[in-house]
Amino acid sequence: MIKFSPYPLGWLKNNRFYRGGARLFDFRFFEIYRNSEYLLRLAEGIWLSISLTVTAALIGFFCAAMLALARNARIPVLAQISAAYVEFIRNTPLIVQLFFVAFGLPLLLGYQWPFWAHALLGLTLNFSAYFAEILRSGLQSIPKGQIEAAIALGLKPHVRFIKVIFPQVIASVYPSLTSQFIFLFLTTGVISEIGVEDLTHAGVFIDSRTFRSFEIFITLTLLYVAIALTFKTCMHAIDRYFFSWKVRQ
Amino acid sequence: MKELFIDILGKPMGIVMFQLVDATQYTIYLSLIAFVGGGLIGMAITLARISGQKGWVRFSTSYIWCFQSVPLLMLLFLSGLGVPRLLGQDVNPWISATVSLTLYASAYLAEVWRGAIHAIPQGQWEGGYSVGMRFFPVLRAIILPQAMRVALAPTVGFSVQIIKGTSLAYIIGFQDLMNIGKRWANAPVDGTESFIIYPLMALIYFSLCFPLSRLAIHFERKLGTYSKGPQISAA
Repeated sequence: MIKFSPYPLGWLKNNRFYRGGARLFDFRFFEIYRNSEYLLRLAEGIWLSISLTVTAALIGFFCAAMLALARNARIPVLAQISAAYVEFIRNTPLIVQLFFVAFGLPLLLGYQWPFWAHALLGLTLNFSAYFAEILRSGLQSIPKGQIEAAIALGLKPHVRFIKVIFPQVIASVYPSLTSQFIFLFLTTGVISEIGVEDLTHAGVFIDSRTFRSFEIFITLTLLYVAIALTFKTCMHAIDRYFFSWKVRQ
Repeated sequence: MKELFIDILGKPMGIVMFQLVDATQYTIYLSLIAFVGGGLIGMAITLARISGQKGWVRFSTSYIWCFQSVPLLMLLFLSGLGVPRLLGQDVNPWISATVSLTLYASAYLAEVWRGAIHAIPQGQWEGGYSVGMRFFPVLRAIILPQAMRVALAPTVGFSVQIIKGTSLAYIIGFQDLMNIGKRWANAPVDGTESFIIYPLMALIYFSLCFPLSRLAIHFERKLGTYSKGPQISAA
């Protein structure tokens, strides 16, 4: 049987979220943006997140190129090591790798680095494996005729690689590299767990001060999405500028 | 079971190994729930995406875009800390972890399946319509059997990402392999230093994920895949 409330729209005032005139939740974003200390923390967090990710991606890209080349050239031992490394990193969570790099390795080898250096090392190791997999498939997709033509022209191996193979590989895998980089950027929030004061760390700090968890994490989410979109735009501009010779559909 | 581990591995290591393997089951349960739940929601989103009706297409496109661009960590923080504090009541970590991983999985799976269905030539749809079949019969009898072949490899590949994603659930207090392992690594017990525990945990995760990756590659070679480029995956 349906019970009718004596008041019209009575449920508006008598539901579990709005009891007796005092709402149980309200959004208080102003507690974040009116406090200059919090804003400063967020800005520093954004800077550290971006700089660590970009640095790790650049170093990781060079490592990835080495890994992919070793595997593609079938150098006896290095190829197997490269394959095992890539498979291992790709099949374990980033956070376990980071904890091992930040807490396990220093204890084992007896060194002390600042937090960001651990994060940089961990992210580089992680990124290099993901990029290596993409570069390898790019190397495999180069038509044999290109290499044969370069040999026929009498180009030396390193010239052949730098002038013929490498530009084509980069141009063909650039879109995949871009989206992989953005996906990896979205996972870098876990470096806050090893003490790096990145964007997520700033958010957790503000949360512990204000207890406005929902508002601060919504803010963080929007910031992450905004940074990811900015990266995407920059990458697209780079694509248009450097690979303008590429034939596009 | 615990005694067996202790008999084989000795006192601290046997207990540690037993607890790690014991906690792994919750990682597996969470992954399974997220995969099944994400699959169900993903199916609905895919259906909305291919329905061709403007409102539904717009809704599903924005849903996929939204949950693909939001970091999983933020989803976990929002569902595990944000919403409980907003509503002023405790939420079980199981529920928060399940909800956020399900949302995460649903967006990715919907995107994978949409790609697979779009890879089927338009002529297949038109052929079905021209013999008088309607949307659902065409989808069931003609499109899905073809799309399922090419969607199998990326779907299995994505399950690896879900398993890796569950490792983040420890930040909201979910008791899984990551949580137990971290506790042991911080414990001042000889033989459970972090350079022993974390590789052990990595090995357990690896033994869960690696067979699935190989299975995905096997399917890709046998049945093919719709995507031309290399597989993009998140850490």
